[in-house]
Amino acid sequence: MEMTRSVPSGSASSVAVSTVADDNYKRIPIGLERGSGSRKLLARMLRVMFPHPQIGDDPYIRTAEAVLNMACEKPGRQVAFAAAIQDLMNLKFEEMDDAAALDHLRGMQGHDFFTQVQGSALLAFYDDPEVWEALGYEGPSFDKGGYVNRGFNDLDWLPEPRIEEYQGGEA
Amino acid sequence: MTQIAQDEPAVVIIGSGAGGGTLAYELTKQGIPCVVLEAGPYLKNEDYENDEWKAFHQMAWLDPRTTSGSWRIAKDFPALPAWIVKAVGGTTTHWSGATPRFKDHEFKALSTYGKVEGANLLDWPITLAEMEPYYDRAEIAMGSTHRHGRKALPANNNYKVFANGAERVGYKMYATGPYATNAEPYDGRPASIQDGFNFQGDKSGAKWSIMVREIPRALETGLLDLRPDSHAVRITHDAAGKADAVIYADKDGHLQRQAARVVCVAGNSIETARLLLLSDSSRYPKGLANGSDQVGRNYMRHLTGSVYARFDKPVRMYRGETMAGLIADEARHDPSRGFVGGFYMETISLGPAFLAAFAEPGAWGPEFAEIMNAYANTAGMWIVGEDMPQETNRVTLSEKVRDQWDLPVANVHFDDHANDVAMREYGYGRAEAIYGAVGAIGHHRTPPYPSTHNLGTCRMSADPSDGVCDRNGRTHEVENLFISDGSQMTTGAAANPTLTIVALAMRQADHLAGELKRGNL
Repeated sequence: MEMTRSVPSGSASSVAVSTVADDNYKRIPIGLERGSGSRKLLARMLRVMFPHPQIGDDPYIRTAEAVLNMACEKPGRQVAFAAAIQDLMNLKFEEMDDAAALDHLRGMQGHDFFTQVQGSALLAFYDDPEVWEALGYEGPSFDKGGYVNRGFNDLDWLPEPRIEEYQGGEA
Repeated sequence: MTQIAQDEPAVVIIGSGAGGGTLAYELTKQGIPCVVLEAGPYLKNEDYENDEWKAFHQMAWLDPRTTSGSWRIAKDFPALPAWIVKAVGGTTTHWSGATPRFKDHEFKALSTYGKVEGANLLDWPITLAEMEPYYDRAEIAMGSTHRHGRKALPANNNYKVFANGAERVGYKMYATGPYATNAEPYDGRPASIQDGFNFQGDKSGAKWSIMVREIPRALETGLLDLRPDSHAVRITHDAAGKADAVIYADKDGHLQRQAARVVCVAGNSIETARLLLLSDSSRYPKGLANGSDQVGRNYMRHLTGSVYARFDKPVRMYRGETMAGLIADEARHDPSRGFVGGFYMETISLGPAFLAAFAEPGAWGPEFAEIMNAYANTAGMWIVGEDMPQETNRVTLSEKVRDQWDLPVANVHFDDHANDVAMREYGYGRAEAIYGAVGAIGHHRTPPYPSTHNLGTCRMSADPSDGVCDRNGRTHEVENLFISDGSQMTTGAAANPTLTIVALAMRQADHLAGELKRGNL
């Protein structure tokens, strides 16, 4: 919804923003387009921000695309992103080890570019079915009959608790 | 569906959620035709999505709003103070289903707690004894488990962790309900399939909502004129000061006018207050029914907070009913804990998409990734307790931002009261003790989500100068204008409010039907 998109501040305010990616950014030649390395650099930045060693590159790349699409919705944001990404390239961000990269990102906290990447990437990354699977989440369940016959109560490392209310009156 | 002429003075209900939907069914059942104006679309159970963000974008109220105050929402989610539904059935689409009653002393908050500095406490003009028959009716209508012969839901994985922890720290009053989702078929609705998508609208219909009971039954009477995509923008009044019509924008943005004999406002606490404020006139310069200047004030949201705990073994909290487990031991009033009022602890589960967005808004980095990495081994609970009404916690009209109809949006101002902070801290500590007792290896304190329980902006009061409406929800100033949702709550109590909203609407329906039959309205 456009009106919720335009809300300016708050790192998580983009929860009302669509997380669906399309590929508009690829066609705009100001330093964010395919071949510019922006997607790859951003994917590295995202892995430092949300480090999950068991997750392959694909969800990070898809998330980078979603972030770039969000950036390309408005010219001002687009040019700011192009400049910030160029800065990171000039600093050879991709060649930094994990600790140095993390330190560098900590120094960028609070900057508009960082906040927008963090907010939009978080939404897209953890909404990716490949990430769900890696974290052990099974996604939609209604079409599979829910979990009533698929383990809603399969936890076996604690005793079966009482389900009825306490009969001894007010504690 | 029946059509009521726009120039026929009708009973007009604004909003089709727990309050408005219940009122519409209870009145049409008694032979009284009603027009229901619902701002949102007519979504049906088969339309609901088993996907957190898709469902959010499908049904959440995303019209612009603004926030102010020291609450963290104003920083993290400045445009989203509340997490409520814009669709036929209102927020009963999204609600989890917990149905504890308010307690006797909670209807007498001022008398019980005494004067609390900075709080605007008041006793309700009604008592639990007066509410009990309506609580019975509401529980029977909603099919609350553990009540009136309804079977308890079985323990799901999240509950097993929660209840074992409760037992080990010495709590007694834990159970899988009361919870308005069927453990076995009841009232034409199936048993739960434990699909875990309560917050996204329950596709199966096992969960009570206005959409599975009140709306279809009200339509069957032939007396309900249900108008979705109809956003009320002003209540007008005649020269004598009585409400005489509701102006609303239809889905194309064209204004329509429905003449009214009685107007019942049930738009959830933010929009209900906003609509009254938007309906100002020279007779009602501060807004309709706002001679007391209490419209919009005393906004409450329950204090809330969540704790997500990590274990070294699988939990899979997302499997099964989202909130089918509560602990009531702390719901008592016991000032020795350092605060007045009480709170419940209730199981909760979010998928990775929502957990990432809400666990620690703005977070990133290795510590955050650790929370997410433990997803399958995580158990969660929600703390929900009474927050203090404060005059300055308030819904007002924005001076800067306008909505799609070019009307000022609601600004929601909120500051935690010291009592709220003390209760939340204590609750976090108890939650950690519970999970620690069953071997948690880590936990995270999650701040309040955008408010799901929005209460008190048009509160009931015995004295017209203290509130907006009387013991029947009738506004003190406008004799044919009623408040029919959680806005009328004088104080918030600890319990989830939906059961009480339904019971109040049933009670109001009896009152309204009597007054209409006697020719008093």
